[in-house]
Amino acid sequence: MNLSLELLAAAGDVKGGEAATFWILAPIAVLGALGMVWARNAVHSALFLVISMLCLGVFYVLQAGPFIGMVQIIVYTGAIMMLFLFVLMLVGRDSSDSLIETLRGQRMVAILLGVGLSLLMGIALYRALGDSDPKGLTEANAAGNVTGLARLIFTKYVYVFEVTSALLITAAVGAMILAHIQKSPEEKISQPERMLKRFLPGNYPAPKPGPGVFSTSDSVATPARLPDGTPSDRSISKILPTRELTSADVAPKGTEK
Amino acid sequence: MEPIAYTAANGWLGTFWLLPAIPLASAAVLLLLGKRADRWGHWLGVLSVATSFVLGLTYFFTLRGLENRSGVELKLWDYIGVGDFKVDLGLLFDPLSAMFVLLITGVGSLIHLYAVGYMDHDPGRRKFFGYFNLFVAAMLLLVLGNNYVMLYFGWEGVGLASYLLISFWYLKPSAATAGKKAFLMNRVGDAGFAIAIFMMFAYLGTVDYAEVFNGVHKLSSGVVLVMALLLLLGAAGKSGQFPLQAWLPDAMEGPTPVSALIHAATMVTAGVYLIARSHPIFDANSTAQTVVVAVGALTLLMGCIIGAAKDDIKRVLAWSTVSQIGYMFLGVGLGGAAYALALIHLLAHGFFKAGMFLGAGSVMHGMHDQVDIRRFGGLWKYMKITWVTFGLGWLAIIGFPGLSGFFSKEPIIVAAFEREGWTAWLFGGAALLGAGLTAFYMTRLFWLTFHGPERWTDDIRHPHESPKIMTIPLILLALGSVGAGYLLSTSVPEWLTPVYGSEHTEHEPVMSHTVITILSLVMTFAGAGLAIALFNKGTALAEQPAGPLVVAARKNLYTDSFNEAVFEAPGRYLTRALVYIDNRGIDGLVNGLAAGVGGGSGRLRRAQTGFVRSYALSILGGAVLVVAAMLAVTFG
Amino acid sequence: MNDKLQLPNLDYAALSPMLILFGVACIGVLVEGFVPRRIRHGVQLSLSLLGLVAALVMVIRQGSKDDVVTAQTAVAIDGPGLFLSAAIIVLGIVSLLLIGERSLETGGAFVAQAAVTANTDADRDQAARTTGATEVFPLTMFALAGMLLFCTANDLLVMFVALEVFSLPLYLLCALARRRRLLSQEAALKYFLLGSFASAFFLFGIALIYGYAGQVDFKAIDTAIQNSANDDILLYVGLAMLAIGLLFKAAAVPFHVWTPDVYQGAPTPVTALMAACTKVAAFGGLLRLVYVGFHRTEWELQQVLGTVAVITMLVGAILAVTQTDIKRLLAYSSIANAGYLLLGVLSVSERGLSSSMFYLVAYGFTVLAAFAVVTLVRDADGEATHLSRWAGLGRRSPLYASLFTFILLAFAGLPLTSGFTAKFGIFAAAIDAGQTWLVIAGVVSSAILAFPYLRVVVMMWLSEPGETTPAVSIPGAMTAAALVIGTVATLVLGVAPSVLIEATEHAGIFVSK
Repeated sequence: MNLSLELLAAAGDVKGGEAATFWILAPIAVLGALGMVWARNAVHSALFLVISMLCLGVFYVLQAGPFIGMVQIIVYTGAIMMLFLFVLMLVGRDSSDSLIETLRGQRMVAILLGVGLSLLMGIALYRALGDSDPKGLTEANAAGNVTGLARLIFTKYVYVFEVTSALLITAAVGAMILAHIQKSPEEKISQPERMLKRFLPGNYPAPKPGPGVFSTSDSVATPARLPDGTPSDRSISKILPTRELTSADVAPKGTEK
Repeated sequence: MEPIAYTAANGWLGTFWLLPAIPLASAAVLLLLGKRADRWGHWLGVLSVATSFVLGLTYFFTLRGLENRSGVELKLWDYIGVGDFKVDLGLLFDPLSAMFVLLITGVGSLIHLYAVGYMDHDPGRRKFFGYFNLFVAAMLLLVLGNNYVMLYFGWEGVGLASYLLISFWYLKPSAATAGKKAFLMNRVGDAGFAIAIFMMFAYLGTVDYAEVFNGVHKLSSGVVLVMALLLLLGAAGKSGQFPLQAWLPDAMEGPTPVSALIHAATMVTAGVYLIARSHPIFDANSTAQTVVVAVGALTLLMGCIIGAAKDDIKRVLAWSTVSQIGYMFLGVGLGGAAYALALIHLLAHGFFKAGMFLGAGSVMHGMHDQVDIRRFGGLWKYMKITWVTFGLGWLAIIGFPGLSGFFSKEPIIVAAFEREGWTAWLFGGAALLGAGLTAFYMTRLFWLTFHGPERWTDDIRHPHESPKIMTIPLILLALGSVGAGYLLSTSVPEWLTPVYGSEHTEHEPVMSHTVITILSLVMTFAGAGLAIALFNKGTALAEQPAGPLVVAARKNLYTDSFNEAVFEAPGRYLTRALVYIDNRGIDGLVNGLAAGVGGGSGRLRRAQTGFVRSYALSILGGAVLVVAAMLAVTFG
Repeated sequence: MNDKLQLPNLDYAALSPMLILFGVACIGVLVEGFVPRRIRHGVQLSLSLLGLVAALVMVIRQGSKDDVVTAQTAVAIDGPGLFLSAAIIVLGIVSLLLIGERSLETGGAFVAQAAVTANTDADRDQAARTTGATEVFPLTMFALAGMLLFCTANDLLVMFVALEVFSLPLYLLCALARRRRLLSQEAALKYFLLGSFASAFFLFGIALIYGYAGQVDFKAIDTAIQNSANDDILLYVGLAMLAIGLLFKAAAVPFHVWTPDVYQGAPTPVTALMAACTKVAAFGGLLRLVYVGFHRTEWELQQVLGTVAVITMLVGAILAVTQTDIKRLLAYSSIANAGYLLLGVLSVSERGLSSSMFYLVAYGFTVLAAFAVVTLVRDADGEATHLSRWAGLGRRSPLYASLFTFILLAFAGLPLTSGFTAKFGIFAAAIDAGQTWLVIAGVVSSAILAFPYLRVVVMMWLSEPGETTPAVSIPGAMTAAALVIGTVATLVLGVAPSVLIEATEHAGIFVSK
């Protein structure tokens, strides 16, 4: 409470400490945003975003909005971004994403337009707000920032607030249908059954050979050869057409040395 | 002029919407039921039109019994009502439409009956009757509407039905081509008509007959002239008048009953109806009237000259139709009392021309579908009924005293001489000359077909008379050709008084009536006599070299070539260019590269790469533009 | 600090249509969990239809009452709002018939398990045998409820939430096609990414407008425009940003880029839903925004959005010319139609409002019928959407070819179809408002657009059917019903439009409180 009162007192005109914090954090926030876009590694991108969001959280607190600032840090930075990182780690990070732009002029025009819009908005806002005094903050925060928010959420926007639950349900349903595969009961096999099946006579218990192993050709359509020299059809994908090996394919090519 | 007002329909007359509804329902049944209706469909078709005819008669007599015969109106529904703009659709039953209703359903019933026999062996008979009913319904809608939009619906409806029927035997390439030609030429006319309707909207804010006619005098004469000429263009397209006459003879590719009903008796007279209906517009501008008269006179001469050079029995009749409608245009163009005269001629013509077409069909039926009159001859011995009925039609059309043509055509010729100044001589002379030429080519047709030596092709041994179902309509129509003229000429003008008023400013014709009548009879007998003298011995079996006029007439006076050079060739290049662009654009697409391929569309397509980042870029660009534009507009 | 929070007075009767739909959607989610798979489809379908009908009844009951602004000023249930709600519900019922259809192919138009990797054995197996996911029903209900809220939102913040509520289910629905799943998933992802991008603009706009007016409800914005001391730059930049967000949903050029890909990739019933209902919602929101909040900036809007409208009409029409896929063709046609609708919005008059609402309903029915036909033309691999496959369809199945011809003629705006009356109304309103230049562009664009439509007609009737011309399936009862409703509505609104025109005029104007 004390903190918020102090902040309230500080609102209205920008004093030394606030200005200093802003000018230190603002470049970091911008750099974080740029870093997120430019980083080649998805994990790095996510971390850059975390930096940016942290800075934003601090800005909110500085602007006398402690609640939204904390939410920003706890929910976005703390929960959502960490979840993001987990997912990235689980899926496996792959830094070899191609960043070569195939569309001619795309990057150039994108940068131009981005800078253009920023300039346009920047200049417009600077002109619009340059000489206007912020006002209304004291009244809005009169009963405390959190109470003020609650007052809005639970009176005027209570209906909309309830409606956002529809959004959450939709999101949950969406996650289910896009990610969940339901196995039919007969498809479910217990571990012992699986093991028994694996060592049944006629099954080859070791991992499947990769295509091209012991082979004389590097096409994925060429079956691997088992150590005894016979081709194994387990090594090729079912959707590929089987390729009959001609005698020329089978014949040694003088590369065995 | 006192304002035109119609009373609301009530009592028995309140049901006259049934007239078009019955054939329409029948058409729907025939076309939707499909093969299930094959066995009895044609009888349903005949029955529906006959019912309409009987109903039409009752309405006719009810209307006659009314004190105020100016016409009864039936509001159907409000079509559009946006702000102050309103279109109420409704029907109107007045003396003029009553007359047309009787013609359409009366002659229509007979021709339907005839078609039952004529189409007996055709596998598509049910479909044919479906289209035929559709045509009757559309035609009735055309004459019964109480505003121009309704008239336009009927107008397009008959156009559609006529297109379907001309190309009924669409496997025959000439039939398909003729259908397309009719369709396209009609579009030219229809465009004119449509623009005229838009002008009414723009200048008068209404399309109701009563309101348009009452408002015409408020318009400037230039507007009225343009509107009238556009209406004339529409009328010329539908009625096969100069310069849109070329489709009508080609339309004879359709089955003969179609030629008789649509392209002789009813649809082609829709143009005359349009002008007769719009008489306040034409009355308001004498220049427009003169143009109508000129078009009529020119067309009637053209039709006669070309008709005299043709050898195909149906083509000769078709050109004769063109020429006779020319007379009607001449009549409606003259205005005043001549409106009634033109309409009398229209009715009389409906009878005798339909009779002759059906007669021609009967001849073709007996002669293995031969149409070349050079290969007929001496048929009077073999098909007596056809001979007599066709003969009566022939006498009627050439204006033999006592038959209907005499009572209907002579007065138009006289009226043409009643104009003022030198135009009386010009148009009167044309009408008079036309009478002589008509007598010549119709006699040539009749004589070559039924008299003279037999010049049949080898495969014909025994020409035979047609079955009763075909001859009965022939007889009835022939009776009409004989009697109608006198009856009509005495009763129609009086009947139409509520439409056209009774007082007429009579000019003295430049010659006395008696002189004109004698002159025209002399022309007629001279033409007929010359034809008999020339063709009594038969004619050559193949085309002979001839003088420039005959050659020109054989080539339709070069009007087709003219059309080809002026309209068709540029049109073709335009189409080719479009096809070219189309192909380029589409092929480029198929090849997966839109870049640099013809057409702005192809160029624009390049933006649609399929990559979401380039889409986002497009949105970003749009955003920059919208923000910048907003700022520029506000502060610029 | 000690005064208690007083819950605002919620008019539950007025809100009931939305509440019913949200409720049905939630029950639908529960049904997914507890009802056996065998009868789930039937239960879901009847539940959703019942819910929609009940909502419609409540809308109609509310129609006889006075305008209500409830939840303080958050939601405005007024004449136009109710009309648009009714339109969304009715069009939603028809789309639901298409969504619920299962007789055209085994298991319906939706994939059974979207998580199965596309084009694998398992996927081919499930495409051939298993029945489609029934989660589509609650998702559709959520979307429709969101649309209702969007049309009645009286506040920018409510509008934003509603925008998200109806967008998110649509993104998901797009990804659930049974056939050509990669295309479908790609479409969904594109729609989602670009939709988020546009939402960001909208949100930014809200922030700027808040900065300008100190409030986000429309009435307060209107008051602020009259007497705010703040710089107008905030207002206009904010307005531009808001417009961008809404024009994206409405598919106006240059924010249309997602439309063809999404229309093509999404399952056809979902495309129909988007083309009919989303359009009503997007323009309903846009109409309220402009008519209540920003009508005092009419002149600026007419300049900027007028240009957008012209570009939209022309680009939509020109690009439609070279399309070779029927769904993409309809997508571009929908873009051009968005341009025509903008004319109604920009008229900023009572006639503009009523003619726009008429247009939305008329277009919705026609486009539903069009997509219903598209679902019928199919071969062994599902729908045959490439135009070359439609060549000679008139010979193969004259009935459906005639219906489609009629629909295309309605799109082209031929008299006696709803397309004519709708276009006529909009153009007349625009001329009334002095926007003749827009009408000229509109007429030119309609003329261009007639060409691709007629090309399809010519292709269907005058080309010989080739080896590859697919057969037309006999529609199941529900598709047949949707097709008949759409076609009959197109005809009736063309022949006797006065009933609906009166309803739109009766709906009056937006309430501004």
